[in-house]
Amino acid sequence: MRADPASRDIGGMVVAAVFVLVGVLALWDTLDYADADSYVFPRTVAGSLIVFCIASIVWNLARPPDRVQRGPESTMRRVGLVIVLLVAALSMPYLGFLLSGLAAFMAIMLLAMYDPWTRARVFVYPLVGTAIVLGFYFLFNKVLLVPLPAGRLFTG
Amino acid sequence: MNSLGYLLAALTPYHVALALGGVVAGTVVGSLPGLTATMAVAVLIPVTFSMEPASALILMGAIYTGAIYGGAYAAILLNTPGTPSAIATTFDGFPMAKRGDGDLAITLACIASVCGGLVGAVFLLSLAPPLANVALAFGPVEYFWLAILGLTLISALSQGNLLKGLIGACFGLLLSCIGVAEISADVRLTFGSQTLLGGIEVVSALIGLYCVPVLIDLVATPDRHLKVEEASRGFRLREALNISWRSKFNLARSSVIGTLVGILPGAGGSIAGLVAYSEARRSSKQQERFGGGAPEGVQATESANNATVGGGFIPTLVLGIPGTPPDAVILGALLIQGVRTGPNLFTEHGSIVYVFIWGLLLATVLMLPTGLLIGRYAYRSIVTVPKAMLVPTVAFMTLIGTYSIRNSVSDVVIMTILGVLGWVLGRFGFSASPIVLGLILGSIAEQGFVQGWIIGAAADNLWGQFFGRPISLGIFAFILLSLFSPLLLNRLRVKREFARAD
Amino acid sequence: MFTSKKRGIFTALAAALALTASVASAEYPEKPISYVIPFGPGGESDITARHQQAFFKKKFGQDLVISYKPGGGGAVGWSQLNDMPGDGYNIMGINLPHIIVKPLQKDVGFKTDELALIYMFHYTPDAVVVSDDSPFKTLQDVIDHAKSNPGKITFSGSGKGTANHLAQVTFDKLAGVKTTYVAFKGTGASVTALLGNQVTGQWGYTSVGAKHADKVRLLAVAMEQRHPRFPDVPTFKELGFDIVSGAYRGIAVPNSTPENVREKLSSMIGQINADPAFKQKMENDGFALVDVDYKGMKAFMDEKRQAYVAAAKEAGVIK
Repeated sequence: MRADPASRDIGGMVVAAVFVLVGVLALWDTLDYADADSYVFPRTVAGSLIVFCIASIVWNLARPPDRVQRGPESTMRRVGLVIVLLVAALSMPYLGFLLSGLAAFMAIMLLAMYDPWTRARVFVYPLVGTAIVLGFYFLFNKVLLVPLPAGRLFTG
Repeated sequence: MNSLGYLLAALTPYHVALALGGVVAGTVVGSLPGLTATMAVAVLIPVTFSMEPASALILMGAIYTGAIYGGAYAAILLNTPGTPSAIATTFDGFPMAKRGDGDLAITLACIASVCGGLVGAVFLLSLAPPLANVALAFGPVEYFWLAILGLTLISALSQGNLLKGLIGACFGLLLSCIGVAEISADVRLTFGSQTLLGGIEVVSALIGLYCVPVLIDLVATPDRHLKVEEASRGFRLREALNISWRSKFNLARSSVIGTLVGILPGAGGSIAGLVAYSEARRSSKQQERFGGGAPEGVQATESANNATVGGGFIPTLVLGIPGTPPDAVILGALLIQGVRTGPNLFTEHGSIVYVFIWGLLLATVLMLPTGLLIGRYAYRSIVTVPKAMLVPTVAFMTLIGTYSIRNSVSDVVIMTILGVLGWVLGRFGFSASPIVLGLILGSIAEQGFVQGWIIGAAADNLWGQFFGRPISLGIFAFILLSLFSPLLLNRLRVKREFARAD
Repeated sequence: MFTSKKRGIFTALAAALALTASVASAEYPEKPISYVIPFGPGGESDITARHQQAFFKKKFGQDLVISYKPGGGGAVGWSQLNDMPGDGYNIMGINLPHIIVKPLQKDVGFKTDELALIYMFHYTPDAVVVSDDSPFKTLQDVIDHAKSNPGKITFSGSGKGTANHLAQVTFDKLAGVKTTYVAFKGTGASVTALLGNQVTGQWGYTSVGAKHADKVRLLAVAMEQRHPRFPDVPTFKELGFDIVSGAYRGIAVPNSTPENVREKLSSMIGQINADPAFKQKMENDGFALVDVDYKGMKAFMDEKRQAYVAAAKEAGVIK
């Protein structure tokens, strides 16, 4: 396959550059470790990371690989999913696992819905969803005895 | 009692019921990302108080082996390894599922798991005391090189180029340093955050880096998750048996690798599948198919990781040194019952050990029918459930699973953030596997390195400590081989293509 | 993520609500008690809690439900202890010297004084362990060899700033020798290194001698009196070194737990400790029971803190 200068792996190089920064940040953090045992390893690794990243950038400039084509996709839904997951995690200690989980389930169901909402689906999907959430909650909390957060707002 | 007597004692209806129930429960537990064999076994400890030691062992061993097999479902159907030992299953299992061969992949995984489990248990039955010495022959330096070997294997295997793999591995190693250091107790790389104090838990990182990117891409398009064939094709058992028979050497080799690597406490379980996978690829005539849905890849990993069950029990029962986290829990349960492990266990308490091993063999055999049935059900549900139900269900499972590993909300936050990171990095050709392996092997590499250094310095022989021990040198040779063989092969291939173009 | 102040307010509110509801009843405990181990399953903290679990059910008719919150060498669990409801149905395992040494090293999310300790129920005494085929038969052999080869003797041990490490530092000082301490992740890994002859000996625990009885030899134990399971092994005191140390384990409650519940719990743990069958089981595993109840805790902690802080400074793990 012939390389095309227009399809240089810019993204890969940007990521490598970011990782160089990560490496520098890690090196800076190691400066205040008390014990020699604790900084030898992270310093070596951060150093190797920086070397590999620079090598990768140089390699990319020397011979650019090709890029993958992508179809039309919805960035909004992607971002939505991530936000729902984060909000669910952060609200868990206050709302309790059950409520956060149930809300997250319903929100993600809306995000993942591409078919039309027929009357049957409007009823069946949330019902099945609630059953799934309750089922897992029961399995983890009652059978496997996982102390799922109860929610500080409601319980004593 | 002779071995026939032990076998008969293992075959009582009570023990058969325990083995059956254990395997079924284990398979279900293993198939849910975030539910680990360790948790399932720990929950059962109070139940085992009132059981005979051999019966308790059979139940816990059956759950353990079932859970390792159940991990294949999420790896194949959702690209999410539930435990580190199933990482290499995703390489070919998920591509197979994508193209509509998920049912075949699961049946192959079941057959391979049974083969691996049997080989591991037979080794445990026949050669446990001598093999346990393998665990003792590995000192800090050997573990250091072993971890480095694991990292080079994964960097060389993962798609994209070697440099990107190495960058990912280094990043993973840095991630492993986060939190309170396991040995020196320094607080590292948390930048003052309480969330990061406990470090990054491996299974939650697995869920984040593998499962969340799949979800992110699932919500973005209306396409189906996996390609579906209209007509039902049953288990595709005959087809799977044919493939398995054709790759019988692969299965045998991978099972033996799994058993032997599984003996090494701590590191074994995580990298046995990986070593078996890369050996399968190395010895294959069609290397380029690996990573794109080669059945041999699934077979190699799945037989190897189930073989680690038997392998891990070897140091656990002979030396009292647990090979894997579930082994540690099982060992603890035995101690509470007043059973002392050690070589004596095999000679004086044969009625416990041998009945247990026969029970483990029985459970492994029972895994064939139960595994096929549960696997079929798992496949049908993932394939037929509409997207608007599949995505929230899997997402909810990542939440509850990640929380439950350490009962920690912080882990859920970290899991989500790693998921986004994994998705972004994946877009630019950095795959998740080197990062995760770096995270898993980081502490092993670090401790091996620091301990080796201190011991070497005390003996005034640092060079000899790192390069003068035969096992170290052997592993080091493997590292060089796996680092440079892809480069050499690539060069050969490029040359050949140029020759053809001219 | 959240500031601890906010958390504090929430917990206080929650605790106030809880108190009026449940604690006042005389039937305590009237439901299962959640017992959090801030380490993973299978370790000594887990095993000793499991021993208690069986006796608790028998004596008080309620389950102790054990769960795990590992991370940061226990710090993750302890930093969250005071956020739990103080209704008497939440207790957590605690370990010395961890809860004393860790907060002095860096900010690990909790302070020693913030933990409401109600009982210390046992300790695992430190011990010098060598493998069966070691040329060292007595502690004196080790000292003699160390004197002529300073730094050459290597001891494996579990972690830094831990009971093993502090005992090694104290011993080196008292015996006037220099040995090399190699920290491993946990006792399991440090025993493996000993059995594989990667190190000369191990600063381990009496429990190592119990678990690997046919493979290792104890040279001395850090106890006031000899351990009943090892009547032939001398104490450090007998040999002229004033070392009585080990990893102490106990139980703490959220600091919102009312006094009467703390006392009740303290006496319940004490009753389990007093059961001869429990004592027998624990000693068989190489543990040694201690009885520091809620009233005696302050004096005990003050004494231990002094000793541990001095040793930790000597070891260079705190400044």
